[in-house]
Amino acid sequence: MPIDLNIKEKVIAKPAEVSENPYAKSVKTFFVEVTQLTKFTLLFFKEVFKPPFEFNELIKQCYLIGYRSFPLVAITGFIMGLVLTIQSRPTLAEFGAESWLPAMVAVSIIREIGPVITALIFAGKVGSGIGAELASMKVTEQIDAMEVSGINPFKYIVITRILAATLMLPLLVIAADAISLYGAYIGVNLKGDVSFHLFFLKVFEKLSFADILPATIKTIFFGFVVGLIGCYKGYNSNKGTEGVGAAANSAVVIASLSVFIIDMIAVQITSLFIK
Amino acid sequence: MKNATGNKMRLGIFVTVSIGLFMAGIYFIGQRQQLFGSTFHISGVFKDINGLQIGNNVLFSGINVGIINNIEQTTDTTVRVEMLINEDSRKFMKKNVKAIIGSDGLMGNKLVTIIPGADGKPQLADNDIIETTKAVSMDEILQKIKITSDNAANITGDLAVIMQNIREGKGTIGKLFSDTVFAKTVDEALVNIKQGAGGFKQNMNAASHNFLLRGFFKKKKKESEKEKEKEKGTNNK
Repeated sequence: MPIDLNIKEKVIAKPAEVSENPYAKSVKTFFVEVTQLTKFTLLFFKEVFKPPFEFNELIKQCYLIGYRSFPLVAITGFIMGLVLTIQSRPTLAEFGAESWLPAMVAVSIIREIGPVITALIFAGKVGSGIGAELASMKVTEQIDAMEVSGINPFKYIVITRILAATLMLPLLVIAADAISLYGAYIGVNLKGDVSFHLFFLKVFEKLSFADILPATIKTIFFGFVVGLIGCYKGYNSNKGTEGVGAAANSAVVIASLSVFIIDMIAVQITSLFIK
Repeated sequence: MKNATGNKMRLGIFVTVSIGLFMAGIYFIGQRQQLFGSTFHISGVFKDINGLQIGNNVLFSGINVGIINNIEQTTDTTVRVEMLINEDSRKFMKKNVKAIIGSDGLMGNKLVTIIPGADGKPQLADNDIIETTKAVSMDEILQKIKITSDNAANITGDLAVIMQNIREGKGTIGKLFSDTVFAKTVDEALVNIKQGAGGFKQNMNAASHNFLLRGFFKKKKKESEKEKEKEKGTNNK
């Protein structure tokens, strides 16, 4: 059965609303977008457990989305750890607490900076890529062609990409955290002399499951939302070639904003259970 | 096809390494929290735990040997703190160890320090209750510092009054500093005393040669010589 995801077009194209207040129109468009995104999400959960499963396409997308993003995430992670350590040192030195630098940097990276910065980089690279790719597929009518040839485009294109993003971002964040901590080790040794063993002990001295587990769980949601919004924006693009750029742009903006909102909610929920 | 296999292999390496790093992190945190090694429980009853929390470290001879496993208020004045101790440290911990609550540096976390007991006692058993010592809290230290500073303030106040009196020439020392006539009189008195002492010495010499007192002085001289000889004999022995 064909899937109807064109509520927005129907609502906006009403002839009676030509002289409508622009603010009212924006609000209406916003709520229509929310409804459509909810419908898109529900459709994802409905289709994801139904066979046939596109395993080969999923592995391919995992490679493209996860492995191909690793160099960018690794460089960002290294710089993040190094810079955070260099910037934090003077403040801690004022209190004579330079020995706390590894523990403080580790907690900051593992809890917050690692997941959020990596998710933002991921949204910039993968979210825009998915948005542009799907939008150009829509423009060139490849999606329609798939439907005609009996392939469910939603399963083949959307579900594989969302799943790949959901699975790959946590792994990228773990890798980025490890590389960040190595950057922090170099940062500590720029103006000090701390052995790797001592640095390692100091890092794990202050870390607990309350730091590492909620931070990893929230990255699953970050990955899901980046993939979901990228796919939604690309799949619903409808302004020809102009829509490709618009889809890529809005996918990055909305995905980045969503990452921050999810992070805020995750921190609130974590603080309810872990003090 | 070859390229697809290569991509799958690269993806597999990436996934394995990332999951390996995650598992290593979990392992090291778990190891620090004594989740994987063999452990035993001991507990101590404190009146005041000074903000000690579950998960804080337990030190024995300065080595991290365990963590705080549970904190339970047993009565209105006692708190039972349960500790999870590494089994390897059990052989060094005797029944007479003492626990004290301290802190990791000036601003660090609270921790329990176990002070080793004397030899000759048996090892701690699982679920033993160990003796505790009341820790000196920061409030108590501040209270003592306040008492000391109050006393110092009183002493310096008295000193200030004394110095003021001296400056104003009150009292003997004050007069000595400010009254030049008094100082001159004291100086003259000292000269007179010196002269008087010299005259007294001459008189005593004259008296010792007088036939009436000569015997008395000779007797005195002999007694002192005898005492000196006695002392010499004692030292030679």
